[in-house]
Amino acid sequence: MSSTTASKTLQAILPGDFSNEDFRRAKLAEIDASCRTPVLFFFVSGLLWLLAGTLFALVASIKLHTPGFLAGWESLTFGIVRTVHLNTVVYGFCSQAAVGVAIWLMCRLCRVPLVAPGIVTVANLFYNVGVTVGIGGILAGDSTGIEWLEMPRYATPILFVSYALIAVWTIITFRLRAERHLYVSQWYLLAAVLWFPWLYGTAQVMLIVEPVRGVVQAAVNWWFAHNVLGLWFTPIGLAAIYYFIPKVIGRPIHSYYLSVLGFWSLALFYNWNGMHHLVGGPLPAWMITVSIVASVMMLIPVLTVAINHHSTMIGHFGKLRHSPTLRFIVFGAVSYTLASLQGVLSALRSFSEVAHFTHHTVAHAHLGMYAFFAMVMFGSMYYILPRITGREWPSNALISVHFWGVAIGIVLYVVVLSAAGLQQGRMMNDPTVKFLDVVKFTIPYLQIRTVSGLLLALGHAAFVVNFGWLLVRMFAPYRKPVVSILAGAEIASPSGK
Amino acid sequence: MSYGPLLFLGILFTLASSWVGLVLMPQRQLGALGQHTDTNTAAVYPQARAGEAQQGAEHYRALGCVYCHTQQVRPEGYGADIARGWGRRRTVSRDYIHDKPVMLGTMRTGPDLTNIGERQSDYSWHYKHLYNPQITSAGSVMPPYPFLFETRPIGPMGPSTNALALEGAFAPAPGHEVVPTLRARQLVEYLRSLKSSGDLPEAPVKKEEAQ
Amino acid sequence: MPVITLILLGSIVLLPAAALLSLRWASRSGQLGRFDRAALLPFDEEEPVGRATDQILGDNRR
Repeated sequence: MSSTTASKTLQAILPGDFSNEDFRRAKLAEIDASCRTPVLFFFVSGLLWLLAGTLFALVASIKLHTPGFLAGWESLTFGIVRTVHLNTVVYGFCSQAAVGVAIWLMCRLCRVPLVAPGIVTVANLFYNVGVTVGIGGILAGDSTGIEWLEMPRYATPILFVSYALIAVWTIITFRLRAERHLYVSQWYLLAAVLWFPWLYGTAQVMLIVEPVRGVVQAAVNWWFAHNVLGLWFTPIGLAAIYYFIPKVIGRPIHSYYLSVLGFWSLALFYNWNGMHHLVGGPLPAWMITVSIVASVMMLIPVLTVAINHHSTMIGHFGKLRHSPTLRFIVFGAVSYTLASLQGVLSALRSFSEVAHFTHHTVAHAHLGMYAFFAMVMFGSMYYILPRITGREWPSNALISVHFWGVAIGIVLYVVVLSAAGLQQGRMMNDPTVKFLDVVKFTIPYLQIRTVSGLLLALGHAAFVVNFGWLLVRMFAPYRKPVVSILAGAEIASPSGK
Repeated sequence: MSYGPLLFLGILFTLASSWVGLVLMPQRQLGALGQHTDTNTAAVYPQARAGEAQQGAEHYRALGCVYCHTQQVRPEGYGADIARGWGRRRTVSRDYIHDKPVMLGTMRTGPDLTNIGERQSDYSWHYKHLYNPQITSAGSVMPPYPFLFETRPIGPMGPSTNALALEGAFAPAPGHEVVPTLRARQLVEYLRSLKSSGDLPEAPVKKEEAQ
Repeated sequence: MPVITLILLGSIVLLPAAALLSLRWASRSGQLGRFDRAALLPFDEEEPVGRATDQILGDNRR
């Protein structure tokens, strides 16, 4: 394990008789400091979009059971505000949190500082311009009408430039690595940043630039949309879980062999799942069947990962009490397993006959994107932010409000809406039940979903306040030396301990 | 598992497999689908959409109707799509060759609209339903679209011929009328054009139903 | 036979073959053997195995 590059830099700045120990500690701090600006930009902008997305979510949720709410505003009509919510949280928050986490993880695992971090910050600026233009376009009525790709064509090249820069920078960091061996998280991160531009580029070309004819659009659409989940968000989420569980509890992952199996089986099967969104639809049966088979095969990577993570955690569940990161990460890991099992079930024709087109699908989407992915992102941010800013979280109380608010909120959301959706589906499959009666049945459950949304909003507010406070402290002078989590990085503290 | 090029190749080949299988192969199989000409009647199906209806499709897209309404009829016996009268046969790939974008939909907060043009072709029903769904469908959660209509004072020549006949709480202020804008007209033309029950070799309509 | 069919059939044969060959190469060159070492990569001298981190909540600020 060489520390030549980092050590040389430090030697130049800090002359004197420093032991190797000091250099190694300082190296970790140096790596963290090198990615501070871009990672902070991604996290801050991501969280601002989360706040906006939460607001749009509440508006959309209320409209679905109280259609007269804000009904006069064209830009807020359900069909638009729901779309804006999705794009804001997926591309505004989740993707930016993902990139911030990915950069930090890659630098840490490659044991090398981020080179030319300014370029990554530029990528972030491009990204936010792209998202702003895209969201503005949808609000103005320019939605493409293609799910998960609604941003109009004048916004997407801006985003593509950003994704390309991020991919290139990840590969450069990887090539400059000081650590020759690769950890499982690095495979997932490399895979994600290489897969996503390919997915995005194909979808843009075949659906928007030169649209293919007829239902081939649906095939491309759902190949893209499902792979955003499976090949962009899931790998980054898993990369974070594989790093943070061992890191927090202080023990390595239970079986590295299982993680190899998990990675390759995910890479092989996940990308074939897309057509399970079209069961019963106007596409050749072979395509749908292939996707159903691939969906069932997902049991292999999902159970592999579940066994691995659970075995690693055994004997250490007590640490959940003391580590916010571990709480969010473990919640996310369990949700990943549950979401995937629900997904396998939903892909089967007999289950799909009932659950397709119902709120069950919406609940499933939130189990995956929120209970798994967003929670893992929160957990990662709780770990990363103190280390790149050199400050502790100002308020433990706010951390608890955040965790319990969103945990209870999302469990309520998913459980209630999944059950309601299944019953909705059963009623829809009974032709003697009038359609308006099916609608009437869902209303109380949609109201409960709004309540759960308020809990999620409360949690987000607590997080943003705590984060803002931490940022303020970053610019304010020290009042006391930072010891509890940064022991070993005292070289950063002016008190000289 | 520490060898970069090996990892890169694996990443490439795995996504390439589904790119070939789920993107390129369907394009090859279905990309050149054309209209079908009935040998007996010389009827061509599906017909391209007329100008106003195509404009209406753009409004359908922009307003996000697809997020609550599907446009796909599942096979007989699978779900209750046909039993509910949403279509006389299942929809197949050929039904969508003129659509840009194809808006199959994934949610049925509202009913499927594949054949709404056959079920409900009355202009005034559609205008009232869009203006405020509660008028025609009490208890619906569909949002009202008042911005697709213009509420204006009744002119000296009397009420317009296309003014909506609204009563009670839905009626405008006295001396005012509600008329559809161009967008509303185009959207309704689009909805009235939604009919996918043409007989096709790959999806014949059941003989006792065919006219 | 049209070109695209040839390409498709070719890929169905070549892609899995390439994957299997890569696996064989990886196994022979010892890529799959260093698992224990690799699992320790998140740890280093500063944050070694056996030391929990991020224990900041509760009465346990350390």
